[in-house]
Amino acid sequence: MFKGFYTVASGMLAQQRRTEMLTNNMSNANTPGYKADQAGMRAFPEMLLQRFDKQQIPTEKGLNLPFAKEIGTINTGVYMQEAIPKFIQGDLRETGRKTDVALLDINMPDNGSVFFTVRNTDGTVRYTRNGNFTIDAQGYLTTGSGHYVLNSAGQQIQLSSDRFTVNEGGVLTGENGESATLGVAYANNPLRMIKEGDGLFRTEDGGELPTAVGTAGVQFSTQQGFLEQSNVDISRTMTDMMSAYRAFEANQKILQAYDKSMEKAANEIGRL
Amino acid sequence: MNRTMITATNTLSQLQKQMDMISHNLANIDTAGYKRREASFTDLLVQEYRNQPNNTLEPQNRMTPFNIRHGNGARLGQVQLILSQGSLKATDRPLDTAFTAEGQFYRVMVQNEDGSSAMRLTRNGALYLSPLSDNVSMLVNSDGHAILDESNQPITIAGNVKNFNINNTGLLTAEMYDGTSQEVNLGVILINKPQFLEQKGANLLGLPENLGELGVTEEEVMTNLAGPLRNQIAIQQGVLEQSNVDMSKEMTDLINVQRSYQFHSKSITLADQMLGLVNGIR
Repeated sequence: MFKGFYTVASGMLAQQRRTEMLTNNMSNANTPGYKADQAGMRAFPEMLLQRFDKQQIPTEKGLNLPFAKEIGTINTGVYMQEAIPKFIQGDLRETGRKTDVALLDINMPDNGSVFFTVRNTDGTVRYTRNGNFTIDAQGYLTTGSGHYVLNSAGQQIQLSSDRFTVNEGGVLTGENGESATLGVAYANNPLRMIKEGDGLFRTEDGGELPTAVGTAGVQFSTQQGFLEQSNVDISRTMTDMMSAYRAFEANQKILQAYDKSMEKAANEIGRL
Repeated sequence: MNRTMITATNTLSQLQKQMDMISHNLANIDTAGYKRREASFTDLLVQEYRNQPNNTLEPQNRMTPFNIRHGNGARLGQVQLILSQGSLKATDRPLDTAFTAEGQFYRVMVQNEDGSSAMRLTRNGALYLSPLSDNVSMLVNSDGHAILDESNQPITIAGNVKNFNINNTGLLTAEMYDGTSQEVNLGVILINKPQFLEQKGANLLGLPENLGELGVTEEEVMTNLAGPLRNQIAIQQGVLEQSNVDMSKEMTDLINVQRSYQFHSKSITLADQMLGLVNGIR
């Protein structure tokens, strides 16, 4: 059988996966706090090719000794192994809304990242970069989808109205003098966090991240009235999509070539 | 199936909604007291693929946890009413008023079709007198709905008015031709939770029908500025508040949304061509 037949098929599939991922990036080009994914491609594990041969020993009867000689290794395909989010700071856009807070990374040692801490109604803690908050019926500060934004002690933040201020250190001061510090957590390796949709991330083992305040070398600030835009680079996404498309097309062409060879094998061999 | 198409169509419909919102804002750029709405996006559910059934075969140098996580596009996450102050335009008409503090509204009584009445809110301070009988007129808004006073009653004025005077805490004084004067306190409320207000059309805001289900009461959403609270009221006479729609901002957003829309239709075209390639293998 032709070895490359399934290799190109896997190539097509991998490029399709990549296109799907890039489309999702494009869709979220206007989502505050969104972190763009990058595709990590990986070749299938290598296998060893051998050449079968026989050696003739010049005896009277002609003794044949079969032996195998190794040629080398071959990869028989490719797949999309990872979707790696990049945690680069997005641009800040001024909205002027009191309930919008942007996280600004000032100094992050070894590519770490800081997050807002939010809690679902069922008590599970999640992390987000999307500071597009609102205030619910009971006056709690929540995300747009109703997750409670937590303070540095891991409790919900209750405000009397949306006329509150947030200083650069994340301290909220409400209209009636109530005060809370936004809970900002620090992940030293954010790549190990799992994207859940709705702008949320969770840790791999379900544990909680340490607080960013007081972590050595971590400096950040919170900006009220701003939103962190997504860090999707639209032009790059578009060119990546085009190159993925062309790679898909090239693979398809090779597949056609294989098909032609097979057609020859099936129909023309043996024809006089 | 190529999921690019699904992701792109999911997002296209949401972008369309944002475009509708922007056009609504732009359409009301000259509506006195109109407050713009703003939308923001959030990403949709993420699905996890087990792209490698046997994780032990994965190399140890992976940067991310096992499997790949794949998003499905974006949706409108929040639509917020922006109550920021609009600019003031002098009209010198005695019954034109404007609030100069954020979050304050006049209360308007609207008759429903079934004869019941509902309370609505407006920032449009263009007031008019509508004659009820030969001698009595009622203070109404431009659509003829009654403006309420601080105790939720329609405001009526008897006799022929020579001049109106409205001070900055909403005290309306009507000077008559016979030398007498009538005073009434215009009803003003302060909004604490603007996210619970709905646009009811005709430049009026109102409370949603299912306020109880949302777990919030009318008192929590708004405060009636009556009695000593009336010092907070800031009304100016002879001016109208323009809408807080910023033409250049809305146009920029519109261009942005349109480009985004084009990108997504391009993605669909690409996905379609990919499917065409698959069909063209043989």
